[in-house]
Amino acid sequence: MENKPRHDPNPDSTRPEEPELDLYTIPSYSSWFAWNDIHETERQALKEFFEGSSISRTPKVYKEYRDFIINKYREDPSRRLTFTEVRKSLIGDVTLLHKVFRFLETWGLINFVAPPPPRQGSDSDDRVRVEDGAPNGVRVVATPNSLRPLLAPVVKGKKSGDGVEESGVQLPHLASYSDVFGDLKRLHCANCGDNCDSGYYEYKKVNFVVCVKCFKSGNYGEGKSMDDFELKDCSEKSATNGVVWTEEETLLLLDSVMKHWDDWDLVAQNVQTKSKLDCITKLIELPFGESLIDSAKGGGYSSSTSMNMIGMKPVCLTSSEHQENIINEDQGYDGTIENEKNGDSENQEPPSKKKRTASISDADSSLMKQVARISTMVDPQITAAAAEAAVAMLSDEMSCPREIFYGDQIDLTNGSLSPTLRADAIGESEIQERSSPSESQEIHLKNSDVPLPLRIRAAVATGLGAAAARAKLLALQEEREIEHLVATVIEAQLKKLQSKVKHCEDAELLMEKEYAAIDEFKEHILGERINILRTTHNTGTAKLLEPSSVQSQTGNIS
Amino acid sequence: MKSPASASWKAPLKFRMPAAENLVPIRLDIEVDGQRYKDAFTWNPYDPDSEVVMFAKRTVKDLKLAPGFLPQIVQFIQLATFRSYAGQDMYVGDKIVPIKLDLRVDHTVIRDQFLWDLNNFDSDPEEFARTLCKDVGIEDPEVGPAIALAIREQLYEIAIQNVTSARENRINKKGRRAAEHFPISKPSGAALDLMKLFRSSVVRKRKEWDYYKPVLDLLSNEDVDALEAKEERSG
Repeated sequence: MENKPRHDPNPDSTRPEEPELDLYTIPSYSSWFAWNDIHETERQALKEFFEGSSISRTPKVYKEYRDFIINKYREDPSRRLTFTEVRKSLIGDVTLLHKVFRFLETWGLINFVAPPPPRQGSDSDDRVRVEDGAPNGVRVVATPNSLRPLLAPVVKGKKSGDGVEESGVQLPHLASYSDVFGDLKRLHCANCGDNCDSGYYEYKKVNFVVCVKCFKSGNYGEGKSMDDFELKDCSEKSATNGVVWTEEETLLLLDSVMKHWDDWDLVAQNVQTKSKLDCITKLIELPFGESLIDSAKGGGYSSSTSMNMIGMKPVCLTSSEHQENIINEDQGYDGTIENEKNGDSENQEPPSKKKRTASISDADSSLMKQVARISTMVDPQITAAAAEAAVAMLSDEMSCPREIFYGDQIDLTNGSLSPTLRADAIGESEIQERSSPSESQEIHLKNSDVPLPLRIRAAVATGLGAAAARAKLLALQEEREIEHLVATVIEAQLKKLQSKVKHCEDAELLMEKEYAAIDEFKEHILGERINILRTTHNTGTAKLLEPSSVQSQTGNIS
Repeated sequence: MKSPASASWKAPLKFRMPAAENLVPIRLDIEVDGQRYKDAFTWNPYDPDSEVVMFAKRTVKDLKLAPGFLPQIVQFIQLATFRSYAGQDMYVGDKIVPIKLDLRVDHTVIRDQFLWDLNNFDSDPEEFARTLCKDVGIEDPEVGPAIALAIREQLYEIAIQNVTSARENRINKKGRRAAEHFPISKPSGAALDLMKLFRSSVVRKRKEWDYYKPVLDLLSNEDVDALEAKEERSG
């Protein structure tokens, strides 16, 4: 064997006759490699050589393959070694050789520093060439068979996800509802694959459907005779059976439903032009129709609810199709209000989020009453859904309801949750009203082992508790308001007093000043009088003889 | 190194294509009403989804062939799949056979020669073809599948030969213990003598290297037309 350059060069120990050692780079995870030995990794990955099953697969053979390939690569490490280059030089099964080659490449023992392979090949190989018709006449078309069946589904229909990528740009068609589910309903002729919309022939024995054309032309497969096919005309099944309802008829219908809840004969009589079936169908179609039917079945309702129904009716009729108030059930109540009617029903999907009903014209005093009124006007399912949502909300807020509804222990009675406030009183009155209908309407049972009345109670208690808590909060807020206002009032009074005081002080000051002034003036006048007396005295006692005038003068003075 | 006589003996397998995927190569050359249909592809006889009649109908429709082609195509495919000798025992062991490629696909002519182990059930002609095209740099996407098909055809032929010869051997040796022991020293015609092959080094002599590498030729349009005309005349 020739002298192979080692991959662990040791430049220090050089002997003059040895060729120059080159440095080859291999990844660190391949450091187990050794020329003289076969490592466990190799034995594991290429078991075929080490099982002794054949003369062509021995460790010696493997080592030769390996050494040759690596050396071939190292002749020029910068160029990428291809499998084709090595397989021409080695004897043996090409598949096995390829396996060895790939093993060495994966472990970086070859092609480690070589440039990556060119990408051009793979893209064009993956692309499916769709040829229209025969290429250049009929000749050898070397397309693998696997492509052909694939073409069929692409051409036929757009089923979801069945996109064969024809070029990198074209994306598979996104399936629409009608595509996916339309095919289930639409029937395809088993022969030609067309839609059998108008009419089709159904083979009586097996589920085999042929369109009219194919039936006539006779292509319906082997073993079936003409007699076995049954014509089935799919006429359009319109939902309303082609019946047209005018406004007056609708009005009459609702009127009569109100009067004779359940008696469809009478209803049909009233609405003379329509049959019983038509009436029922139309009623179901109306948005609130089902609730009317249900309420008709329910029977005993408190007068308020029936009044509401009737009050609602004319409003509805006038604005049946056009603008109506859309009430979203869950909105506006923050989930703190509980509907006691079916508080423990199973969770059903609300049939429609928007409910076309008349607005509640009179804004009632209590929120509970409003809620009760609304709950009577709508489907039990909706109230159930709302109740469920409310329960969920409450559970999120407090742990007690969570225990009740989603746990197993129940030891709760009405109103024990929170202090009673006046909200409780209102609530209780509502409960009295509702208790009979709610118990009589045990429509759904929840699939837990909690007994019904307890759940009702628990629901009631939770509702009351929530309402009471809210009320308390409101009351506290009111108190604070009051305090605030009182403080303001006091402040105002103080201010008034203060200003008064100030006023008085000012007045006092003025008075004092005036007093001083007056004193001064008094003295001044006194001084003047003395002066005048003096002068009169000095001028003469001659006037002594006139005692009266002097006395009077002195009298005046003193 | 163990001697060949004591090599482990595996239980005989049922017949199957000596490749990872059990596909039967089919080559059609039908002429009806002046129209000639030549085609070659692989077929999976065990695929429940691939129905011969449906495929034939589709082909006729897509290529706009005369309806007379339909029964012929169906017949050919069915014949090919029935002839797949399913259920027959195959000889197991190591079986290296030479495979030669000499085909023209559109503008590309390829010639090649290599060894293939018939009993290596991991072998994949498609993958080999892919690697070959990638390494040599062939861009025409039809070449790869054509190569794979050619390989499969040859393997198929050899496998069939195997089975028939094995059957003959069995019949001959009916007196003695019949299907138990195959003399390893007597390989069938197509297989090579492994002992001779692997005795010395597995590295070929340099002068032989050129024979075992793929030779690629790209033809011009005129050459292609000329060759096709010649084929039509001879076919």
